[in-house]
Amino acid sequence: MKCRYFLSLLLVFLFPVTLWAAEIEVDVFQFKVETKDVLEKAAKMYMEEHPGIIVSIQTVGGGDDYGAALRSRFASGNEPTIFNIGGPQDVEDWIDYLEDLSDQPWVELAYRGVLDGVTVDGKIYGMPFNQEGYGFIYNKTIFEKAGIDAGKINSYDALVEALEILEARKGELGLKAPIAFAPKEKWITGLHLSNVAFSQEFGDVLTAYNAKEVDFTYGEEFKLLVDLQAKYAYKPSGLVSSLNAVDYAAQVEGLFSLEQVALMQQGNWVYNSVASMDEELARNIGILPIPLKGVVEDCIPVGIPMYWTINKNVPEEEKAAAKDFLNWLYTSPAGKELIINEFKFIPAIGGYDGLTPSDPLGQDVLKYSEAGKTMSWVFMGYPSGWGEQVLGANIQAYLAGDISWDELEEICKKEWSEARN
Amino acid sequence: MRRSWVSFWLFVGPCLTAFIIVVIIPLLFGIYYSFTNWNGINAEVDFIGLSNYAKLLKDVHFAKSFVFTVKFTLFSVFFINLIGFLLALLVTRGLKISNFLRTIFFMPNLIGGIILGFIWQFIFTGAFGALGEYTGLKFLMGWLSTTQTSFQALLILMIWQLSGYVMVIYIAAIQGIPRELIEAAEIDGAGSWMKVKNIVLPMVRPAFTVSLFLTLSNSFKLYDQNLSLTAGGPARSTEMLAMNIYNTAFSFMKMGEAQAKAVIFLIIVGFFTLSQVYVSKRGEVEM
Repeated sequence: MKCRYFLSLLLVFLFPVTLWAAEIEVDVFQFKVETKDVLEKAAKMYMEEHPGIIVSIQTVGGGDDYGAALRSRFASGNEPTIFNIGGPQDVEDWIDYLEDLSDQPWVELAYRGVLDGVTVDGKIYGMPFNQEGYGFIYNKTIFEKAGIDAGKINSYDALVEALEILEARKGELGLKAPIAFAPKEKWITGLHLSNVAFSQEFGDVLTAYNAKEVDFTYGEEFKLLVDLQAKYAYKPSGLVSSLNAVDYAAQVEGLFSLEQVALMQQGNWVYNSVASMDEELARNIGILPIPLKGVVEDCIPVGIPMYWTINKNVPEEEKAAAKDFLNWLYTSPAGKELIINEFKFIPAIGGYDGLTPSDPLGQDVLKYSEAGKTMSWVFMGYPSGWGEQVLGANIQAYLAGDISWDELEEICKKEWSEARN
Repeated sequence: MRRSWVSFWLFVGPCLTAFIIVVIIPLLFGIYYSFTNWNGINAEVDFIGLSNYAKLLKDVHFAKSFVFTVKFTLFSVFFINLIGFLLALLVTRGLKISNFLRTIFFMPNLIGGIILGFIWQFIFTGAFGALGEYTGLKFLMGWLSTTQTSFQALLILMIWQLSGYVMVIYIAAIQGIPRELIEAAEIDGAGSWMKVKNIVLPMVRPAFTVSLFLTLSNSFKLYDQNLSLTAGGPARSTEMLAMNIYNTAFSFMKMGEAQAKAVIFLIIVGFFTLSQVYVSKRGEVEM
């Protein structure tokens, strides 16, 4: 009896070892929670086509948590084959683990600029996930009812005018306020909104990453965008300070999806959230530009949220399998089909002729992209933690009335320079 | 003699091994890393002496979260024990629904901290907001948007969660009081308050020591409720020490500095809890 127990225990321990020996395992450690299920489906399809290779997916939520979890995965010695990095800072930190991907077939298909953040000395270390864009998402039905032509909102003044109309007629339109603003999520203000100003100050992510100082060249215009949203936003207690309690769920799934507001500053990734609340509404939304007054008024920020990378310290055949899996996913006909229709991605590489995003937000991002009306994402080039814990937190203090805008700029400049010098 | 030596190590050995592996060794590693510029990834690290400790002396956010944590701990320890004790008195009075009440009061403690935080976040923003709109009571609206309401919300959450737990400890202590002591007091004409003050309170002193220790260290080390309820906001004003350390490590990516903070944190928690145990122990009465 005892002997049998012992034997079965031994088998349990040996089982994974035997598997290891027989097959190549590609261990994927990724951050995009929204696409967990489809990625697992893709892995299954790939495994059916490629016997002898096992692709296992592990997903850990976005942002800080992923970075922390990735560090512990590496520290534990159980290193993944494929993992994700965000931008220049990650490339510098992880360089000892990054496989050079410059010879991969998708490299020449990549759109201009999408590989800048992961290129060091001419070597490319990451494969872009997809393109994402954000702006002011608006409710087309409400705009029609209010008699506003969204096509004409391509400047700061036009946006203010539209907000004023919505404010004046909010009673009859059934709105609580024209816009939903969620400064509780420090990434919405500290990363995304600030990007509108800093993409003009720095130009591209590498310049931001190498900048020793930040000047707030367009600080005044940035302030206008914060004030504008605060003025016309739904405020839980009626006071501006109460905006600090509005979070992502309240903004997207609450106010906007319940049609209590007509606008919100968000990106094409919210499509599924809105659709899960109200499919009818999700078909009738679009993206308006975020105008930086007097600088650029008709563009939206479009960028790469994350990159795939391959661990260069794993065995050769495992690396080859990992590269093949990524190639298959982004360049094979079956993979492309998945990327567009299941992942609902806007691809960052070419070769997707005839396949267009099925959701209206993705289509809008593509429209801006094709018209060249985009600005780059530079927030991956901010010092670690600066965007959220310094700028985002201080915007909360500014909205609470604890500090003035000038003080905010002072504090943020000082923290940037301390982090970089 | 030899037998007892063997059984001693048989019992202590496994526990001690686990303790050394998961507590002592990581602690020593942590102290070592607090003297380095480790970034959490690379194997090669440089020894930089005390400069991490020097930096944290100048860190205003660390000082702020220390003050906030101490303030929070004082309030929560006081109210949790007061309410827990009162609840214990209530359910040991022999009421018909005592058992039912005990279950109800203990229940919050069965829910994990993160979930509790999200539930209460909904209550404070959603339910309070709707009530405020309906009744026109302004103070119910905009909760969690100011430091004051976030502080109160954290306090309410902790009291709600932990009072039931310390209640159980106090119930055990109150039930352990010999019946004859209370009867003797009753014969001497003591009222309810006299009985509580002169018999129950001194007799449950050991339970106070334990409960104070538990609530003190729990409040000081609070992380999950803090994260899911306020996430340190607004403007990092409700960021407690544990969260400050986490953010230093994983938002600002300064592992060495975070380790130095963690070492200081350990010393602070150790100092407060040990001195509390020492002080409360002195006042205990022996039967």
